[in-house]
Amino acid sequence: MWHRERIPLLLAFVQSVLVVGWCFTEMEAGPGAAMSTQTNGDRFKIEGRAIVPGVKTQDWVSTARVLVDGEEHVGFLRTDGSFAVNDVPSGSYVVEVVTPTYRFDPVRVDITSKGKMRYARLVNYIKTSEVIRQPYPLQIRSSGPHSYFMKRETWGWTDFLMNPMVMMMVLPLLIIVLLPKVVNTNDPEMRKEMEQSMNMLNPNPELPDVSELMTKLFSGSKGSSKAGSSSKGTRPAAKRR
Amino acid sequence: MAKLILLWLKCVILYNAVGAVFEDQVGKFDWRQQYVGKVRFSHFDTHVQSSKKVLVATENNVFAALNTRTGELFWRHVDKSGPEGNIDALLHHGQDAILVVGNGRLLRSWDVNVGGLNWEIVLDSGSFQKACLVGQQGTVKNVAVLKKNIISLHYLSNGHQKWIENLPESETVDYQTVYSGGNGEVYALGIVPHSHVVIIAYSTDDGEIIKQISVEAPWLSNIVASCAVIGQGVLICVDSATPSLYMCDLHLDTHDLQMTQIPLQSLGLEVAPDFQPVLVSHQPNSAHQPLSEFFLQLGPDNFLLLQLNNGQIVTLRDFKPALLVSFATTGEKTIAAVMSPKNKTACSINLFSAETGRRLLDTTLIFVMDPNGGKPEKIYIQPFLKKDDSVGYRAMVQTEDHTLTFIQQPGRVMWTREEALSDVVTMEMVDLPLTGTQAELEGEFGKKADGLMSMVFKRLSSQLILLQAWIAHLWKLFYDARKPRSQVKNEVTIENLSRDEFNLQKMMVMVTASGKVHSFRLFFFFQLFGIDSKTGSILWRHYLEDVPSNAAFKLMVQRTTAHFPHPPQCTLLIKDQDTGLTTLHVFNPIFGKKSHVNPPALPQPILQSFLLPLMDQDYAKVLLLVDDQYKVSAFPSTKNVLQQLQEMASSIFFYLVDSSQGRLSGYRLRTDLSTEQIWEVVIPMEIQRIVSVKGKRPNEHVHSQGRVMGDRSVLYKYLNPNLLAVVTESTDTHQERSFVGIILIDGVTGRIIHEAVQRKARGPVHVVHSENWVVYEYWSTKSRRNEFSVIELYEGMELYNSTVFSSLDRPHAPQVLQQSYIFPSAISTMEATLTEKGITSRHLLIGLPSGGILSLPKMFLDPRRPEIVSEQSREENLIPYAPELMIRTEWFINYNQSISRVRGIHTSPSGLESTCLVVAYGLDIYQTRVYPSKQFDVLKDDYDYMLISSVLLALFFATMISKRLAEVKLLNRAWR
Repeated sequence: MWHRERIPLLLAFVQSVLVVGWCFTEMEAGPGAAMSTQTNGDRFKIEGRAIVPGVKTQDWVSTARVLVDGEEHVGFLRTDGSFAVNDVPSGSYVVEVVTPTYRFDPVRVDITSKGKMRYARLVNYIKTSEVIRQPYPLQIRSSGPHSYFMKRETWGWTDFLMNPMVMMMVLPLLIIVLLPKVVNTNDPEMRKEMEQSMNMLNPNPELPDVSELMTKLFSGSKGSSKAGSSSKGTRPAAKRR
Repeated sequence: MAKLILLWLKCVILYNAVGAVFEDQVGKFDWRQQYVGKVRFSHFDTHVQSSKKVLVATENNVFAALNTRTGELFWRHVDKSGPEGNIDALLHHGQDAILVVGNGRLLRSWDVNVGGLNWEIVLDSGSFQKACLVGQQGTVKNVAVLKKNIISLHYLSNGHQKWIENLPESETVDYQTVYSGGNGEVYALGIVPHSHVVIIAYSTDDGEIIKQISVEAPWLSNIVASCAVIGQGVLICVDSATPSLYMCDLHLDTHDLQMTQIPLQSLGLEVAPDFQPVLVSHQPNSAHQPLSEFFLQLGPDNFLLLQLNNGQIVTLRDFKPALLVSFATTGEKTIAAVMSPKNKTACSINLFSAETGRRLLDTTLIFVMDPNGGKPEKIYIQPFLKKDDSVGYRAMVQTEDHTLTFIQQPGRVMWTREEALSDVVTMEMVDLPLTGTQAELEGEFGKKADGLMSMVFKRLSSQLILLQAWIAHLWKLFYDARKPRSQVKNEVTIENLSRDEFNLQKMMVMVTASGKVHSFRLFFFFQLFGIDSKTGSILWRHYLEDVPSNAAFKLMVQRTTAHFPHPPQCTLLIKDQDTGLTTLHVFNPIFGKKSHVNPPALPQPILQSFLLPLMDQDYAKVLLLVDDQYKVSAFPSTKNVLQQLQEMASSIFFYLVDSSQGRLSGYRLRTDLSTEQIWEVVIPMEIQRIVSVKGKRPNEHVHSQGRVMGDRSVLYKYLNPNLLAVVTESTDTHQERSFVGIILIDGVTGRIIHEAVQRKARGPVHVVHSENWVVYEYWSTKSRRNEFSVIELYEGMELYNSTVFSSLDRPHAPQVLQQSYIFPSAISTMEATLTEKGITSRHLLIGLPSGGILSLPKMFLDPRRPEIVSEQSREENLIPYAPELMIRTEWFINYNQSISRVRGIHTSPSGLESTCLVVAYGLDIYQTRVYPSKQFDVLKDDYDYMLISSVLLALFFATMISKRLAEVKLLNRAWR
């Protein structure tokens, strides 16, 4: 049970280190960026830029939108990936760049009632007061394409052979076939010894349910073969019913 | 560390991942239709000859580019709904499209090719009047925006303001339009109604007023409605009272400018009685002057092509009858297109030379109208020059039912778009009828035994029918395989509609409601669509006019297709929300025909309507309508029904909600079809108001009565079918004092089962009420986040009466469990999956503003999720409590097919227990199937036939070989 969770944990750790690392690097870039304040009455503007590394902006801006607090305010991306959401009153907002293909992390932007002091931070819904500063105007970098699809479970010989059920079937077979050849069954002493050991193995009333044993073995093996890739592991869920 | 734990939880969750799409399933059983809404402005992209784009700006605040060859979207931008995203104007120049949005709040420029924004600027406040492109020396570089009191000029390249000027005397003068003829001047035209017209010419360069003239026009009240600028800057107006045309030259510099009157009689023309004449002019290029030819509409079906020639008006051609006219320009040629009625079902479009009024040869195009649709409303012409320099064209016709039809000569429909489907208000899914063979097979089992021989005979004959069908199917497969793929079309028509093996294909009946403006009045109409759920093709439609402007719709299936030969029957209830007056529309959901059953006339306002599980002798469910006198009428109201009602009366209860008074009341039916009030709950209006009342879905089944706990005992669910979830919101909207309340009331007895309040929370609240749980979502003002809360009700370890649930006999109050979670996104709508028998686990389908539909397993919203994991909770497969729910894109049932502005999700069970049919509608329509517990009752798509057959074969050979070996061994032993 433990070993299959260890790898994702490790991955998660690496991921979180990466995330933290990012905010540090971007913090440095932060103060250099200009804070343009164009006020319109008591309405303000949220500015920023979205970047998909390695992809031309023309290829994705037409499907993208900037959503502020759901669909409360909507902005569109310019052909160079920058955006400005106009007419936003003061308050605290979650700004999100939405495209069907690329994933962007949401950012919280706070606009004070005077509209002058505003800052961006990572969204943390649990500890709402925690502030990890982000540069403003926003620099939102895509963390890659969305993964919408599950991988099909493919069938391979190794999977099949390493399956404990198969092992359980093959090993006794080997024992049945090979043991008589190794041990001389005609020897009366040996036979006695074997009978004794057979008695030891005789049914135990405390023995757990066979089917349960099977499922445990089965699910355990499934996990071990897939601990690396996260999106699998469908079998245990289906069994739950 | 918290993040680490969170991510660890995420990994745990990954193991439980259920219900996702595999890549090879894309498009297999799902489809999406994208709409834009009713077109308000449209321009063909003409800056490249080979361009296939048509730009449309719609009343749903959508700006999109359509492919003229296929009708599909190149790109689409969906702005905020409501007046803030309203598109006021669309100007098109070269690669750029300029939009004025939100009553002149924003000016945007879009790159038509890429579909990205060039720039966006905020304009000064003021109500928007008109915008126009301003050219100078043959090139268009600026755009002028006229507002109530200011005029501003902006650069096309970056949106920066060139100059802004206050309009003089803007308190008294109503500036309505702006015009530029490309000569360095911008004209703002204003009016003091029934007094004079104000003409102000601004210099394009610096905004200096070049001249300011006022012209007497006591007969004129609106420039936009009755004037146009033609030729070399001549303002021409039409007056229906005199009736005559008035002209004045804007360029003349005299201060005593007069409008010259030309009586229409002198031209030999006559205005149709009670008709406001309309002028249509055309400016092919904003850098140049408009044409001196223009259309004058004198009657609903009478247009004239006139020309201004040396100060004289010349009639070029009289078009009567003509429905619509339009100018279009290609290259140097400008043509006038005229649509005239041909017969009842068809119209013809002809092209005429704009300069001479001569008809162009071979330019007739026939537009066939749908008899169930609306009349043509607008035509957009895309002309092009053929190789021999003659003009060819395509036409886009917009009809009153919001349909766009794109036609090519001589009348081939290239595509149609039913834009009304962007306004679906309600829908229902109806089973398709059985085919003749299927019905016969069913009949065999349905009837009682006649005798051994006849049974055998029947059995054989039905097998024969099956065989026949199978051979026919094989033959069709074989026949189709020989044809090239492009020719094989599985056209679905009403005739060949039939239920499939697992009842996965259904008829979607959708009701759309939209407004239309007709002679300056707003009308409402609704349309019924019958859509095949497998392909998304529209099988029938029905267009109905004269619907009250704020109608509420309720669609009910009274009789399903299961009662052959009685036709299925749906009833649409249309209720005017102001008066409560209601009409019923009864129709056949498969063919869309109006039923011959006459619905009762309902003179009284209707308060409540509901379907009873009772059926009349024709198997139609009884619809009960409660009017404002608390009298009940039934539909159908045959003797049989009334008798049944009398027998059942004592057990028929219903509830009424009066949200304006905050009153909920329960009534019981008496045998004489009057009612008596049995309970009433008043929610104080000063503090809170009722937002919504949700009961359970009547077609919902719950398979398991309880949950098995870790210690092998059973926790029984409180499955009260009469339970209502009432959601209230506080009237005080201050973020410290606002709250959301939920009250669970038994609809029969009025007993309040549970009451919960979320402090520092506000709506919009989305609720799902099903089985023994209620899930609701609200906005937490304190933490500024969306939160989910779940309430589950349990009877306890013992069931009071396991055979039947009665609200009147349930002495013990249920145990209530509640838990809340953080949800990292706003939501648009929410619904729960529904399956045939309720064995399959439930998922919540959540429509997100980003366009995704998240399928969230209900087990994440389980108030029994423990904070500390114990042996028992692990045994029960409870997920440890985590405050934040995850949005995983793998759970998006619509993968990258995002759906804009999801308004509703409809779930319907299929014939397979594992499968639930889902339709999400909003601006788009998306249909798919979901398998909340995977496909446990059919072989999966990835079932490995190769593996199973190879294993079988291998085993077969292994037995053969071992048999042979055993024989050899036996023989050897015998020899020994």
